[in-house]
Amino acid sequence: MKRDAKNLTNAAALAVFWLAGLTTVVVLGAVIGYVLVNGVGEIGLEFIFTNPHGVNAEGGIWPTIVATLYVTGLAMLIVTPVAVLAAVYLAEYAVQGRLVRTIRFAADTLASVPSIVMGLFGLALFVESMGFGFSVISGALALSFLMLPIVMRTTEEAIRAVPKYIRWGSYGLGASKWQTVSRVVLPAAASRIITGIILSAGRAVGETAVVIFTMGTMINLPVLPTDPGRSMTVHLYQLAMEGINMPAAFGTALLLMAMVLAFNLSARWLLRRNRRMQG
Amino acid sequence: MTPAEETATPRELKLMSRSTYVKEAALKNLFLLCATMAVAGVVLIFLFVGWRGWPVFSEVGLARFLGGAEWLPTAGAFGILPLLVGSLVVTLGALALGAPLAIGAAVFLSEIAPPRVRSFVRPAVELLAGVPSVVYGFFGLLVIRPLVADVTGGLGFGPLTAWLILAIMIVPTIATLTEDALGSVPEGIREASYAMGATTWQTIWRVLLPAAKIGIIDAVILGMGRAIGETMAVLMVVGNAPVFFRGIGKPISTLTSQIVMDMPYASGVHRTALFGLAIILFLISMGLVALVRALSRFREETR
Amino acid sequence: MLSAALLALLAGCNGGRQHAADQVIVTGSTTVQPIAEVSKEGFEKAHPGIHVLVSGVGSSAGIENVIAGTSDIGTSSRDLKGDEAKHGLVDTPIAYDAIAVIVNPSNPVNGLTKEQVKAIFQGRITNWKEVGGPDMEIGVVNRDEASGTREAFSKIVLDKERFDPTAVILPGTGQVRSVVAQAPSAIGYISLGFVTPEVKALAIDGVAPSEEAVVSGAYPISRVLHFFTKGEPTGLVKEFVAYVLSPDVQDRVVREAGFIPVTARGDGL
Repeated sequence: MKRDAKNLTNAAALAVFWLAGLTTVVVLGAVIGYVLVNGVGEIGLEFIFTNPHGVNAEGGIWPTIVATLYVTGLAMLIVTPVAVLAAVYLAEYAVQGRLVRTIRFAADTLASVPSIVMGLFGLALFVESMGFGFSVISGALALSFLMLPIVMRTTEEAIRAVPKYIRWGSYGLGASKWQTVSRVVLPAAASRIITGIILSAGRAVGETAVVIFTMGTMINLPVLPTDPGRSMTVHLYQLAMEGINMPAAFGTALLLMAMVLAFNLSARWLLRRNRRMQG
Repeated sequence: MTPAEETATPRELKLMSRSTYVKEAALKNLFLLCATMAVAGVVLIFLFVGWRGWPVFSEVGLARFLGGAEWLPTAGAFGILPLLVGSLVVTLGALALGAPLAIGAAVFLSEIAPPRVRSFVRPAVELLAGVPSVVYGFFGLLVIRPLVADVTGGLGFGPLTAWLILAIMIVPTIATLTEDALGSVPEGIREASYAMGATTWQTIWRVLLPAAKIGIIDAVILGMGRAIGETMAVLMVVGNAPVFFRGIGKPISTLTSQIVMDMPYASGVHRTALFGLAIILFLISMGLVALVRALSRFREETR
Repeated sequence: MLSAALLALLAGCNGGRQHAADQVIVTGSTTVQPIAEVSKEGFEKAHPGIHVLVSGVGSSAGIENVIAGTSDIGTSSRDLKGDEAKHGLVDTPIAYDAIAVIVNPSNPVNGLTKEQVKAIFQGRITNWKEVGGPDMEIGVVNRDEASGTREAFSKIVLDKERFDPTAVILPGTGQVRSVVAQAPSAIGYISLGFVTPEVKALAIDGVAPSEEAVVSGAYPISRVLHFFTKGEPTGLVKEFVAYVLSPDVQDRVVREAGFIPVTARGDGL
């Protein structure tokens, strides 16, 4: 009798956990499915490669795609050397102490700064004080602060995952610390570092509140880093709230999702391939 | 190919020369400089957002800014209390819905799911984190809001819609960290529990969750940070009326959404007030991070 | 051609700020912005090498700029006031902006007085039964402060008094329309040109919103959109103004932007 009750409780509890686990899949499926069903008819070569025109942004979204990839790529270029070298310091050189604790606290804080705060920061520093105006470079600089802690953390984890004996081998051959780091440790950790960079780029592609206040909202095909532009996320926001051209909103949402998923899946694929090669 | 072979040239087998030593020291300082960029970022954010926001503290006054019950910029009233309450309502509701779901999903992944199920649930949780917040807002506006309108009457803009959307958005944050916390509970503890005849549920509820408690609290706090800072999704479904909470189906506004709503036309004191909102958001999120760190230090000390 | 360019250059110098002779600078009302932007596209296509610079800075700034000579055209959603009238500006009306008060088609209310609309948007009337409808709480949908439509509505209907702060605020015309189309209790306002059969536009003070009623001045919630120039427009500026008044812009662009063409006879809607 008591055993029955115990088993019943157990079964009920397990059912609830199954429900929780599967809910996440269902919700993801619902969001992707909804955007896919409504957006897929809109997407074609014309939608991707032509300019929006007219009062209600008919036609394509090419300038917003370019602006999104441009600002993300530039942010990756800015953040990668700084974040990787910072991680090298934390993983290989730093001794536990107040300085390291401060750096880690700052990185954690930076990682949790609301994106709207980062947007206003970019507006105050890069757009206005440094005079870059609403531009790709302002957006990229603000985004790079957002990406910095992510790339730092994943790189540090990747470096720490490189077995110690590989380093000893290098030192044993007389290599200096930098030689060991640059020619042994970093190459061994490369694919995991790249995974981290791609993941942070996926985050940047999906970011709205930062770029709206740093890159602006003007539909423009940016050529120079000092040109303004409208990202796909900002375009989606404006189309969704204007609500006049909903087909284009769905098309933009679908392309945006596809881009973010491509970043995420390629990062996962890289990681898995790497694991297989090592295992 | 092993990179170590490349380094094994005879020239490099010599002892470290003076120039190598200088180079090594210079590089180390360069790396340190890069590492301090994170600190520089935090300081710069504080300085620049604070600098732009400062006039609102000196001109409007801290008490009237933080304690004012009316946000009416065109009439010169900059009381952020309704917005603070709005952010709090939205965040706590989202946590109440999202945290159990996320912890449940984490337990499922860590303790229950067969490997094949896990292999598609875990990527799903991670991909939920990758969906842009503006897409969540879009989905919430077009799908969730009409459903909520049917339930609560009214127009469907308000806390309930925001809760539902935010609950999903914080699941990945809380679930991933909770799974880490559960994973760090030693295997022996599980085995001991099962050996005593405990069911899976009893092991989870009486043994694993208590053992991972502090890690889970960390996860929930960071999920809270995510919820309070979320902007675009909330903006699109919350109704944006800067008034006190009056019901789950009535529009309110939050610290984050008000900034985006007002920024396009704000000037003068109003603009500085928006930077003031941003600095408060910054301090809140920094406080939450500090809390998490204090907790983990506490955990290390009690071990 | 050369002398015209020289003249334009001189005019530019006199205005205090020099600008190139192959440019037309248009600044002012954000409401007029979409018309100016799209006209720019068409005008530049028809006149290769010519640049039209458009920026939305607000009506007052636009008028200020054209008086100071830094803009060729100042766009405005209001008439000149005070000292502005003393500078010999020439007014070219380019469109009517009429605002429709919309409700759900299932709502039995067909018309309100301007005074009732004001009371609803100020939160003094909160139930449809107070204005002859069913016993149902009114769901007020307002626009964001940056909206030109809100500015016009506030001035014409609310006499610039405050809106009910508890109303939902949406930053876009289409969302206002789709929310009203979906919610039986909702009321909102959008430009007349954006009204579709999904929503019902109310008669105000007994006048149904129609193009005819707007052009004749009978419909109370409307205003005129202006181009102001310093003296009669000449050269490129004249050509640009003429282009904006051409059927190409009036019947296509102006309508797509939700406005009523200044050339309308009132038989279009």
